Amino acid sequence: MLTPDEAADLIEAIAARQDRAAFAELFRYYAPRVKAFLMRGGSDAETAQEVAQETLIMLWRKAQSFDRRRASAATWIYAIARNKRIDVARRAGRPAIETGDWLAVFAAEEVDADKSVLAGQTYSRVKELLGGLSADQLEVIKKAFFEDKTHTAIAEELGLPLGTVKSRIRLALARLRDALEKES
Amino acid sequence: MSRHPAPDELLLDYAAGALPPGPALAVALHVALDPPARRLVERLEAIGGLLMEGEADLPPDEAALQAALARLDATPVEPRPAPPRPPAGFDWAPPPLLRHLEAGARWRRVMGGFEEIRLRLAGDSSNRVSLLRLEPGRGLPVHRHVGTEYTVVLQGGYTDATGNYRVGDFAVGPGPEQHEPIADPGPPCIALIVLEQPVVLTGPWGRWLNPLVKRDLI
Repeated sequence: MLTPDEAADLIEAIAARQDRAAFAELFRYYAPRVKAFLMRGGSDAETAQEVAQETLIMLWRKAQSFDRRRASAATWIYAIARNKRIDVARRAGRPAIETGDWLAVFAAEEVDADKSVLAGQTYSRVKELLGGLSADQLEVIKKAFFEDKTHTAIAEELGLPLGTVKSRIRLALARLRDALEKES
Repeated sequence: MSRHPAPDELLLDYAAGALPPGPALAVALHVALDPPARRLVERLEAIGGLLMEGEADLPPDEAALQAALARLDATPVEPRPAPPRPPAGFDWAPPPLLRHLEAGARWRRVMGGFEEIRLRLAGDSSNRVSLLRLEPGRGLPVHRHVGTEYTVVLQGGYTDATGNYRVGDFAVGPGPEQHEPIADPGPPCIALIVLEQPVVLTGPWGRWLNPLVKRDLI
């Protein structure tokens, strides 16, 4: 088990001194998780393996862009893996978003940095919040992340009216928003 | 908070990486300009991280690790990039747009009294993605279309029957009734418009109707 602080320390060790031992430790912990996460969403083992490998290489390259005040290691690695998955899907001819938009958004925004709470805190709060969602809400949120499906596709798959899926998402996000307002 | 935020379900689609490039760019620009939307997307990404981290602790793949380690010598740790600078004349462009502005991108006057820069997004043939620039007081001709339209304001503002939209505001159309947006006084209104291309019709009628649909004539 890696705590958020330990994982952030390891990424910073790569940033500061190209620490290969730190890389190996992160790889052993996160590469299998990225792979399992993708396979749960329907990726074949080979694609999931490739995305996991490329995600960890990207972590090495971009380690100096990591900012533990803005995102936890898991959040950051998730976002890199999401963008890598999109890259790989694009090669297979599927429409996709540009990798790097996410990094650009994070890199550009320092103005409200004082308002953003420490990523470690965010992490435990989000965990709490997920536990508080209803089973219906959780189902839709998990489907979105695991299967990278739009809410429209999720509604079709579950055989639910689009409005029902939208209202589940809005109820779930209202909880996130409430939590954010209480903090600021 | 933006007075016209992007709908929650679209922020979720974006955070989960499920949107095609055109709509994803529209949401990325809104998120870049609207701090509350950005914080919400950061939270959603934290959920993604949490779900990923919650995967079972599988035995590490030592062969894959060795393969990755072997690549590191040829893979430098890159310095943190300086914030990207918009090209001259594009000071209003938020970072996610910059990669899509080709060198020498120019406004092109279009019939109807507005200017356009068409963006070509790799991997997205199902959306028409454009920057539009409208002088104050000018309107877009009333138009109707079959697919969904996403608008995010990047400079100035516009007003239509549904309200007043300013920098960072997000609109999803078509609305319940046809409406004609008019640019507000002040600097020209610049917005990114993403228009889902109409579904291509098939069958004996489609051959005749498609050219008309493509030209927005029906």
